[in-house]
Amino acid sequence: MAGIEIRHLKKAYEVDGRRLQVLQDVDLEIPEERITVVLGKSGCGKTTLLRLVGGLEQPDSGEISFGASHRTAFVFQEPRLMPWLNVTQNILFGLRGKEPEPGALSGIVATVGLTGFEKAWPQQLSGGMQQRVAMARALAYGPSLILMDEPFAALDHFTREQMQKELSRVQQEEACSILFVTHSIDEALLLGHRIVIIENGRIKRLFDLEETAGERDLLSDPFIRMKREIVADLKEQKI
Amino acid sequence: MIKMDSMRAFWPAFFMPEGPEERKLQAGADRRNEGERNVGMKQAAFWKGRFFPPLMGIAALLVLWYLVCRMELFSAYVLPPPAKVLDSFRKMLVSGELFADVGISVARVFKGFAIAFVLAFVLGMLRAVCPGAGPYFEYILQFFRNVPPLSLIPLLILWCGIGETTKTAIIFLASFFPMYLNIVKGFTGCDPRLLEVGDMFGYSRGERFFRIILPYASADILVGMRIGLGYSWRAIIAAEMVAASTGLGHMILFAQQMSRTDKVIVGIFVIGIVGLLTDRLFAFLISRLLKGNYANGWD
Ligand SMILES: Nc1ncnc2c1ncn2[C@@H]1O[C@H](COP(=O)(O)OP(=O)(O)O)[C@@H](O)[C@H]1O
Ligand SMILES: [Mg+2]
Repeated sequence: MAGIEIRHLKKAYEVDGRRLQVLQDVDLEIPEERITVVLGKSGCGKTTLLRLVGGLEQPDSGEISFGASHRTAFVFQEPRLMPWLNVTQNILFGLRGKEPEPGALSGIVATVGLTGFEKAWPQQLSGGMQQRVAMARALAYGPSLILMDEPFAALDHFTREQMQKELSRVQQEEACSILFVTHSIDEALLLGHRIVIIENGRIKRLFDLEETAGERDLLSDPFIRMKREIVADLKEQKI
Repeated sequence: MIKMDSMRAFWPAFFMPEGPEERKLQAGADRRNEGERNVGMKQAAFWKGRFFPPLMGIAALLVLWYLVCRMELFSAYVLPPPAKVLDSFRKMLVSGELFADVGISVARVFKGFAIAFVLAFVLGMLRAVCPGAGPYFEYILQFFRNVPPLSLIPLLILWCGIGETTKTAIIFLASFFPMYLNIVKGFTGCDPRLLEVGDMFGYSRGERFFRIILPYASADILVGMRIGLGYSWRAIIAAEMVAASTGLGHMILFAQQMSRTDKVIVGIFVIGIVGLLTDRLFAFLISRLLKGNYANGWD
């Protein structure tokens, strides 16, 4: 399997003169063309892991090896839009001046539900809409790997459901790999082919799910059981 | 007395904390401008409210001036009455001497200002693109920032005479630093989180600069240019008073020597009005360039 292999990954930060070991020893395989969800309490190092995979940060030790050549897009925890560009220009930001394929842009805009806002400026959009522009910007890049850091945290319940469905659909259509970070158990159960729970800088538990995302009934027995386990896992953790 | 004032004109350019202060003021002014455009169309009453108070202020000042002259508290030589000043103003307009002096001063300002801007931009860009280059010139610049250009006039006259080069150098010195400081602030203050977005998309150094750093800094750059333009205008008048045979500053000094206080006052009016107009014009260009939208959510 030509996914991403993470071996003995360690990362510490210096905070206020003290050493903070964020990632102790992370071993993880991220399968190709699947959604891998990283679940954990806030401050447990999810963003750090994502930044390491994205190459925005260097690990203290350990390695991350990519099976095949990859084109990585990052959806950050904040929208990070360019305030001097309108929605369309922001979405095309990753293409570096190249023209998008005809029709591609309107498709992506529709996917994130922003039709009619193509000419709007970022500061005219709500936080949730800005986050969706950021997601569109990642999709327009045509990535083979998308790193997503709690991308739906700012969305309301219904928009979030809608976006989760769209993400599943896009992932199947484009056959890309997604590393998705969240603190929402339901979101993890809904989207993940593989769910990874981080605790104290290590992978505490790993679930592989068979059912296709999007067709899952979270109220069915297996999911309720799984959710109980995860809740118990996360509750044990001390902050 | 006049020399004291002209010296003060140099000062702010070398006093860094004024940068952000002025910027705040100007941001306020720009916003007011926006309001003016949007609301003013609909409400004539608003226009009245906006222009009535300042016009009243000006009228009150004129009346006070008139009354003081009327009561003959000072001799007409010390304070000529408004009518006399207005008359001289008209005469100088008709004869064209005023336009000639204003034209010469404005041309000098734009020459020095353009050179200063290009150099400030290049050095600021150097600081942004290769930060390692900064220390080589930063301390030299900081040194000159603390030297008022007026103190360099003796040297400049010695080296360059009282020709155009001296004036260009004075304007350069007056306008370079506010522009350089604002440009550096804009370039180096770029939000690293936006730079990371570019990094993730594989942006090269050049793309990073032209697609993220430069647009991010454009507001700061324009504000720096506006402050720099204001300083050059104030500096040229002072320079022309010390070493020139043409221009507005020289005109004022010459009028004083000829005991024509009315002409001195005309000169001061013209300085104020030309300065105000160029500043307003620049503010207008800024709001145009930044398309308004930019100014809204920015800052
Ligand atoms: N650049 C940094 N410098 C110092 N400490 C950091 C830095 N980034 C993250 N941390 C610390 O690392 C821990 C994990 O952060 P993060 O990965 O953002 O958590 P999560 O995304 O799971 O909420 C936090 O305690 C945070 O304070
Ligand atoms: Mg985080």
